[in-house]
This record gives sequence, C-alpha cells and structure tokens, in this order.
Amino acid sequence: MSKTVFRYFFDFLNGQEKWLNRMARDGYRLKKCGRLTYVFDECSPNEYEYAIEFVGNQAYSKAKDYRSYLESMGFQTFTKNIYLNFSYGKVSWRPYAKGIGQIATSPGGLNKELLILEKKSDGVPFELHTDIHDKLSIYKTVRRACAWAVFMITLLGVMTFIPNELSVSLPMAWLLRIALLIFFSLFLIPTMKYSSLVKYLKEESEIFE
Amino acid sequence: MTETTFFVLLAVYKPNHGYGIMQFIEKETNGRVVLGAGTLYGAINTLVKKEWIAPFNDESDNKKKEYLITHIGKQKAEEELQRIEQVLQLASTVIKGDRTK
Repeated sequence: MSKTVFRYFFDFLNGQEKWLNRMARDGYRLKKCGRLTYVFDECSPNEYEYAIEFVGNQAYSKAKDYRSYLESMGFQTFTKNIYLNFSYGKVSWRPYAKGIGQIATSPGGLNKELLILEKKSDGVPFELHTDIHDKLSIYKTVRRACAWAVFMITLLGVMTFIPNELSVSLPMAWLLRIALLIFFSLFLIPTMKYSSLVKYLKEESEIFE
Repeated sequence: MTETTFFVLLAVYKPNHGYGIMQFIEKETNGRVVLGAGTLYGAINTLVKKEWIAPFNDESDNKKKEYLITHIGKQKAEEELQRIEQVLQLASTVIKGDRTK
C-alpha cells in the first residue's frame, strides 16, 4: 500500500533527512517525490536509511555526473527542489553557485537542488562526508545559499518602505512585511547554525585531518 | 597530504573503481577509516584534475569507471611514505624513550 504525504521543508537538509528517516523507521520507503509531495511504499521498519545532499551550487552536468556516481555506489537517488516554483520552462539565477551552475534552467538543474539518497540499512551510519575539509566546504556552500536568501528577503523588506513603490493598502503592506520577517528568520536560523558549525570545524581542522 | 588522499592513491596501484576504493580502504584499516561516498567523489575528481590518477578504461559508463595511479601520483606517494617514515622514527624515539624513564 502506498501513502502520499504533503510536506515542505525550510530546513531542507537536516529537517527533511530526519523526517525521511523517521518514516523509514516506521516502515515507509520513499517511492517518488514531487515539489510538495512524497509517495511512500510500505516496507519493514528500519530497512532503509536516507541522506540528503545539496547539489544546487553545481552545474547541471556536474550534478548529473555526481548522481550517476552515487548510483554506482549502490544508492537509490531522487532529485528534490528547495524552492516552490510551479512554472515550466524557466531560468533562475543562483548567486551562491559556482561558474555555470549560477544559471539554473528548467528543464535542467532548476528544482533539482537536492539529491535524496537511500541505502539499505547495514549498521554503518549513513555519512556522505567523512573528511573534515570536505565537511567544511559543504557547510560553507549551504551557508552561502541560506545567507543569499536572507539578503534577498532583506532587500525586499527594505523595498516595501520606499514611498509609492507599493500599490497595496497599509494593512496589506504590514502583512507582507510580517510574512517577509518570518521568511527572514526561517533562513537566518540555518545561516547561523551553519556558521557555528563552520567555526567549530575550522578549529578542529587545525588539530585533526 | 591528507589521509584520505593517501589512501585513495594506495587503492589505485591496481585499477579500481569507486566502490572498490571504498572497500579497499575499509578493509585495510580494519574499519577505522570508512570514507563517505561524497568525500570519495571529491577526492577522486581532485586527483584526476591534478593528474595523480587517471581513468583506466575510457568507458563513459560511470558504473565501470576505473582509475589507475599515474607516474606523478606514484612520485607523490613515495614522498608521502618518506615523510611518514620520518614522523614514525621521531615519534618512536621520543615516546619510547619517555616510557623507559
């Protein structure tokens, strides 16, 4: 029997990963996922484990190569979006990405910012990054993506205060500002979390490899 | 050189693919070092770019992509071996000397 769940994660790495692992613990295995939906099949509890990898900073060809590599390592892979965006045939600028990866298109790398990986539980923790330098660069990448979101939202917030720019009534303007403030904090929290992780790992990396 | 880099080099003295490299390292270190797949991918790509290792067969199929250490890679591994021997010698002298006090 399959089960469909509607869900969206602002905490797209840890939050989503924990949730998928909780589902797997309860005996649900991911079958496919859409922008807001997850379809699960029933399986034995604890049979599978999940990890999420951020690939939104990479060019589409690189992300595809990485995906096929991970499949060759024996993982089942799914692509997943970060943003909510329902248009088809679209180009997006990702200021935090590397080189050509800054331009994301749909069809292409847009809405495939994440890879969800599944492996059969084998007693070994599902860790994709075990090297301290590697972990550092991953956390920095994610922090950059979150920090850009914070910056863009701040910019939007400031714009609402420019006289005659907004064509909505005052109460609506404040509603918009409150909504922006909520988004602001939703991205600020992970930015700060990854900042402190980066700081901690930097200190560690001076002693350990 | 990081431990990860050195182990990957050692794993491709014979042609080896991603999964094989991971297993080699896990087995030879008795499970002390288990490389994450993402970390291994980064290490392989960096080493290919530096030309310390090279794809062994030209198959475009990722699943069979094998790698082999190059001449430069062997040179770097040799240097690393000498460095580790030096560290080992110094550490043995100091630590063992202290134990017998």
